[in-house]
Amino acid sequence: MNPAIVYLVELGSGAILVTALAVIWRHSLQAYIGAFRLQSFLLGAVAALLSQLQGSLELLGVALLIALVKGWFIPRFLRRLLARVGSGREVRPYLNVAASLLICGALVVVAYSATADLVAASRLPTRNGVPLALAVVLIGFFVLISRRQAITQVIGFLVLENGIAMLALMVSYGLPLMVELGVFLDVLIALWIMQVVVYRIRDTFDTLDVTRLKGLRH
Amino acid sequence: MALALILLCFVAGAVLCLLPYRAWLPGAHLGLAALAAVAGSILVAELDRGTLPRRWGAVALRLDALSAFMVATILLIALLALWHSRGYVARELARGGLEPHQAGRYYLYLDAFILMMLIAVVVDNVGLMWVALEATTLATVLLIGLHHTKEAIEASWKYLLIGSVGIALAFIGTVLVYCDVSILEPAREGALDGSRLLEQAASFHPAFLRLAFVFLFLGYGTKAGLAPMHTWLPDAHSEAPAPVSALMSGVLLSVSLYALLRFKPVVDLAAGADFSARFMIGFGLLSLGIAAGMLVIQRNYKRMLAYSSVEHMGVVCLGLGFGGSLGTVAALLHILFHALGKSALFLLAGNIQQTCDSTQITQATGLLRRLPVSGRLFGVGTLALLGAPPFGIFFTELAILRAGFQAGYLALTLAAAALLAVIFAAMLAHLQRLLFGEVERAAAAELTVAPAAFALGLLLLLGVWLPPPLARLVERIGMELMP
Amino acid sequence: MAWWIALFQPLLALLLAPLLVGFIAWLKAGAQQRRGAPPWQPYLDLRKLLAKEAVVSRHASWLLRTTPGLVFAATVAAAALVPAIAVGLPSDNLGDLLALVSLLLLATFFLALAGLDPGSAFGGMGSSREMTIASLAEPTLLMAIFSLSLGAGTTHLGRIAEAALIGGIGLHPSAILAFVAMFIAMLAENARLPVDNPSTHLELTMIHEAMILEYSGRHLALVEWAAWTRLYLFLAMLANLFFPWGIAQTLAPLALIGAAAALLAKLALLALVVAALETKVAKLRLFRVPELLSVSFILAFLAVAASYF
Repeated sequence: MNPAIVYLVELGSGAILVTALAVIWRHSLQAYIGAFRLQSFLLGAVAALLSQLQGSLELLGVALLIALVKGWFIPRFLRRLLARVGSGREVRPYLNVAASLLICGALVVVAYSATADLVAASRLPTRNGVPLALAVVLIGFFVLISRRQAITQVIGFLVLENGIAMLALMVSYGLPLMVELGVFLDVLIALWIMQVVVYRIRDTFDTLDVTRLKGLRH
Repeated sequence: MALALILLCFVAGAVLCLLPYRAWLPGAHLGLAALAAVAGSILVAELDRGTLPRRWGAVALRLDALSAFMVATILLIALLALWHSRGYVARELARGGLEPHQAGRYYLYLDAFILMMLIAVVVDNVGLMWVALEATTLATVLLIGLHHTKEAIEASWKYLLIGSVGIALAFIGTVLVYCDVSILEPAREGALDGSRLLEQAASFHPAFLRLAFVFLFLGYGTKAGLAPMHTWLPDAHSEAPAPVSALMSGVLLSVSLYALLRFKPVVDLAAGADFSARFMIGFGLLSLGIAAGMLVIQRNYKRMLAYSSVEHMGVVCLGLGFGGSLGTVAALLHILFHALGKSALFLLAGNIQQTCDSTQITQATGLLRRLPVSGRLFGVGTLALLGAPPFGIFFTELAILRAGFQAGYLALTLAAAALLAVIFAAMLAHLQRLLFGEVERAAAAELTVAPAAFALGLLLLLGVWLPPPLARLVERIGMELMP
Repeated sequence: MAWWIALFQPLLALLLAPLLVGFIAWLKAGAQQRRGAPPWQPYLDLRKLLAKEAVVSRHASWLLRTTPGLVFAATVAAAALVPAIAVGLPSDNLGDLLALVSLLLLATFFLALAGLDPGSAFGGMGSSREMTIASLAEPTLLMAIFSLSLGAGTTHLGRIAEAALIGGIGLHPSAILAFVAMFIAMLAENARLPVDNPSTHLELTMIHEAMILEYSGRHLALVEWAAWTRLYLFLAMLANLFFPWGIAQTLAPLALIGAAAALLAKLALLALVVAALETKVAKLRLFRVPELLSVSFILAFLAVAASYF
């Protein structure tokens, strides 16, 4: 149990949480994509450190996959989507920044209390990162429900997925390789489908503001 | 062997779709579906003899009675859907609702959808089961948005987001379960196999599994259409093409409940049966309540059917929550009967929509005159779904209520019965407006009614007489689910 | 002996503060390719101001006359509580974190009030803006240091530094969050970019400068000196609470001299960071400032949550 590595992992987990907050704080979609990219690289770095800790080559492969797919490919994909579709700014979200940040603080406390048993019973050195991972999940979920632009909701979903990947890493050093690969594939296909639907929304509604999608009631 | 044939049928169907669209494509798919259905009955027979495979190379399979039951249900409804699709797609092409290349993609996504559902119910690894269920979400999104109308796109976006979030929550639950497994033993090979989980259930931490079950229930419950996570359901099921709605309403919701059922015995052993029971009864009752409320004010017959699905999933949850052999067996039979009835109704609703060009009830009055056969079948089907005897749903709903009384939940069962009565009244009122009314009898086009009639006939038959193989199968499932 | 050191610390604060501020200005000038004033310019400014006459508006009350002295006294008192060159001093028992924050807030409060006193437009505007910022930055400061005190088990600053020396809690990941939060709060409380430009006199952008516009002569000297000492205190806290190495734990002369050198080095480094930041970022629009401060508050809150659970 190399303490330096454990320290770096804890540091990385905290940094990942801060990048999740960046999505709440900033206003421009380019900043969101940049924050997601940084978050994915940090996640890949944390996974690589854990592979060092555990001596598992599988985990190193997963780390490389995270860095490549989520850190390079997906942000590039989103940037291209944004260039073709979008406006660069988030349309007045439902809550202002200060209120959103306070709610995220409350979500962090919820995450801590929900995982208290888990952290107490776990014997892994990464157990302090578990509440942070759940907090990232909750923040991603909050971004998804409190934003009005379709692409921001997609980014919220991606942050949610990052949080789940981080949870899997912290709680059990990742999942079996087959499942991890399946999950990656699913995320990529989901993203592709989201892109298709976003194009359709833009073509049909002439805006990416999802509050205009109110045709179906009751 | 039979399983390989089944999966191969749909893979072949998908491959065929990659060619440019030809007029024989729907017929070919119907043939493949029929072949798969035959193979499905062979599968059930193999189960009786106990000769089902346990592994396919690196992938562990779990082909017990519950899997076989789900496979049979999926194949039956898939057959009906693909049977109806022939006529449906032909009419859509004729009246310009679909382009030929869209029809090709329709079959491709449909094949992928059915394939993924089948994979979800036969693999042992709960992680792979999750992957397959997520894939069904992705396959159906594009099917919902097939017609590029505003409502369809809105429905597909909501479905995509809510479905993805739900499935992500279910994944968190899976991760937490894996966490508990990996604490006990560091070996990773087959650690997420459902059968292994059941064996180790007694040694898991109760607190972990409770937290995991909360996430799993919220996640898979979203996919199953339980309130209050059901908000995507009315939009998605009403905007999708009729055969797709039939498949989604009839089977996909049940497959999501299947996923939950795989975890329930594990959680019951580790954390006590009360925990999951309370969840199931609570959310079941909530689904009934919300469905009842929304059905009273409903003005769209497809959304009416969708809320009815919410109600029936609530009933199934109640049955599973009340427990006991009566409740469990009744819930499982209810899954089959609801699949039959709901798919028949959605297929007929497709006919109605193609004739009346609208999904509003006020635009589709006088069905007895406009569409004599479809209208009558729709009426019969609705009554069957509301629990009229001698159709099967009457018996299963009654059995579930009895199970509730037997388990001692007097007030809750009475509340459920009251809500069922409210739903009965509401839907009957809507049905009356649909069927009766003064309309000139327009020239009825060639409509496909055979699949729906077949389904309703089967529902009637099964209500009166349960064939011995089916009875044996369901009994076996009941025994397997009770630890 | 310990008491002499304890009384020496505020004196050191007063002596070093002008040099610190001048150093930052000199660094900024160098970064902007200007010659700029030498680092000891603030001393010359003080001497100039003390020699001049203090002109007070006819509409001002006793508040305007007494505030400079009050603010100066409060800041000097706060300086006694901050561990600069030694820990384990008897002045540690004089007051803890809450006393420090209260003293600083007292100074801010009276400055703001006295800004309103002469009835000029700029003064009131500056006061209201300052109170907005202070109401958001003070909780951040409290929370950030509180997260450290959770780890150290005490709220007395000297003892927090001592515990950090022994236990190395300063390196805990939550401490980094607290450091960033406190750094942002420092920028806000001391009228540094990106919150407030310390050298501007445009009415649209002044905050701190607007409040002290009416002072002159010895009043201005006291108020400015207090502001510089405030910045020194914040930087000294950032340096010694999070990176306490070098601070003297005994009262040996060698240790004290070493501690002084360490302090100077750390302050110089922090001054470099502040100067670089001020050169690089532009001033935030006023309605964006609460967002920035909310972020720092949440970071401090996260630091507390991480230390608590």
